[in-house]
Amino acid sequence: MKTLLLSIIAAASLAISPLTLAQDKEPLRVGMSGQYFPFTFVEKDKLQGFEVDVMNAIGQELGREVVYRTAAFSGLFGMLESGRIDTVANQITITDERQQKYLFTQPYVYDGAQVVVKEGNDSIQGVEDLKGKTVAVNLGSNYEDLLRELPYADEIDIRTYDSNLEQDTALGRVDAFVMDRISASQIIKDKPLPLQLAGPTISSISNAYPFRDTEEGRALRDEVNQAIETLRDNGTLKAISESWFGTDITSP
Amino acid sequence: MNVLDFNYMLELVPILLRYLPLTLQMATVGMAVALLLSCLLAVIRVLRVPVLNRITMLFISFFRGTPLLVQLFLFYYGLPQLFSSLTAIDGVTATIMGLTMHFSAYMAESIRAAIVSVDRSQTEAGLSIGMTNAQLMRRIILPQATRIAVPTLMNYFIDMIKASSLAFTLGVTELMGATQKEAAGSFLYFEAFLVVAVIYWIVVELLAWLQRYLENRLNRAYSR
Repeated sequence: MKTLLLSIIAAASLAISPLTLAQDKEPLRVGMSGQYFPFTFVEKDKLQGFEVDVMNAIGQELGREVVYRTAAFSGLFGMLESGRIDTVANQITITDERQQKYLFTQPYVYDGAQVVVKEGNDSIQGVEDLKGKTVAVNLGSNYEDLLRELPYADEIDIRTYDSNLEQDTALGRVDAFVMDRISASQIIKDKPLPLQLAGPTISSISNAYPFRDTEEGRALRDEVNQAIETLRDNGTLKAISESWFGTDITSP
Repeated sequence: MNVLDFNYMLELVPILLRYLPLTLQMATVGMAVALLLSCLLAVIRVLRVPVLNRITMLFISFFRGTPLLVQLFLFYYGLPQLFSSLTAIDGVTATIMGLTMHFSAYMAESIRAAIVSVDRSQTEAGLSIGMTNAQLMRRIILPQATRIAVPTLMNYFIDMIKASSLAFTLGVTELMGATQKEAAGSFLYFEAFLVVAVIYWIVVELLAWLQRYLENRLNRAYSR
């Protein structure tokens, strides 16, 4: 299914003659961690994932080349801030705090935050059970804020990670980690780590692309926004989502 | 415990080796510049050059007193907020500059120690036969100081190779960054990190040979 879709995209891109495509437009510089399966990950030196497919489709739509830059998650916003990339494609959740600072496109992924525990640990069934437990989250992620905003946050030992928090949970060094439901489910399904979902999602999240709050950033944001709209209408977003997840996560 | 996935490890070797040149490039360029800079700093300290000595002391104090990661972040993400033109500096350059300054501070102290460790009687002997200060440095002090400094300087070079793994936080995919990404894609952590550990180890072992060779060369005049 995935290869079929990719070949369709490839065929379509050939049809639109690369000459008219390249033009004189600046490439879109996109930052991602390359460490967030199955949204952005590397296998055998090849950067791939849902985010890559969606961003490539956006690039097609805009007639811009997309240049990917990978960095540890904690470095991504710094790169955006210092103008080294134009946006971040790493399941960035829209939060009030980020909205004050950045311009967001419309959401292209709708998802939920999920508690994940080591396989066989049935003592945690949801966010209430995290009291008195150690919980891992990615440094600078919105899941960290989500935990800190809980009324009993001071009873949770929150540990921030740059990467490999799934492994630490599987090893039993922390009791749980929090990330988005879709990634978590895919990891449990496809990867060798002994993990399980703990209870229902704890809050709904929408992911969008952040741009710098400048004139240039605004213009770029509007362009990308338009492209998302088109890709949603012509079914491309849905098709990419189904190729990765077997379900459409791009509409609410 | 699961059995190691040897096939995966074998597949990973050529993939990771593609990133070794970048790691070595950052470390060797960093080391070359750091050698020049640290010699300069050490000489300033030994001769107690007015004003420059104070600046050098401040430089050493800062770059030895703060973690390399902090320096890299300050430099790469922080400064461009004040001076937007600094955005033009890419991650590789920023890493090299960071490594250079950080390790220069340490190396300057090591070189200074090597210089002052050459016995004072040698200086006196040199002066007594009418050598100038420059001749004395070049022909008597520095050859002996080099011999003393080589093992510690090699240590810093080895350390620098490994410290370049911090570049991934600046968006540079070098050896460690590539490994992190492969591990996060396959979730086969032990395999991935074992492969990269062996690669680093082999590289450092090759350098240890080079160090032994250098030491033997430099010691030739002193063995009888």
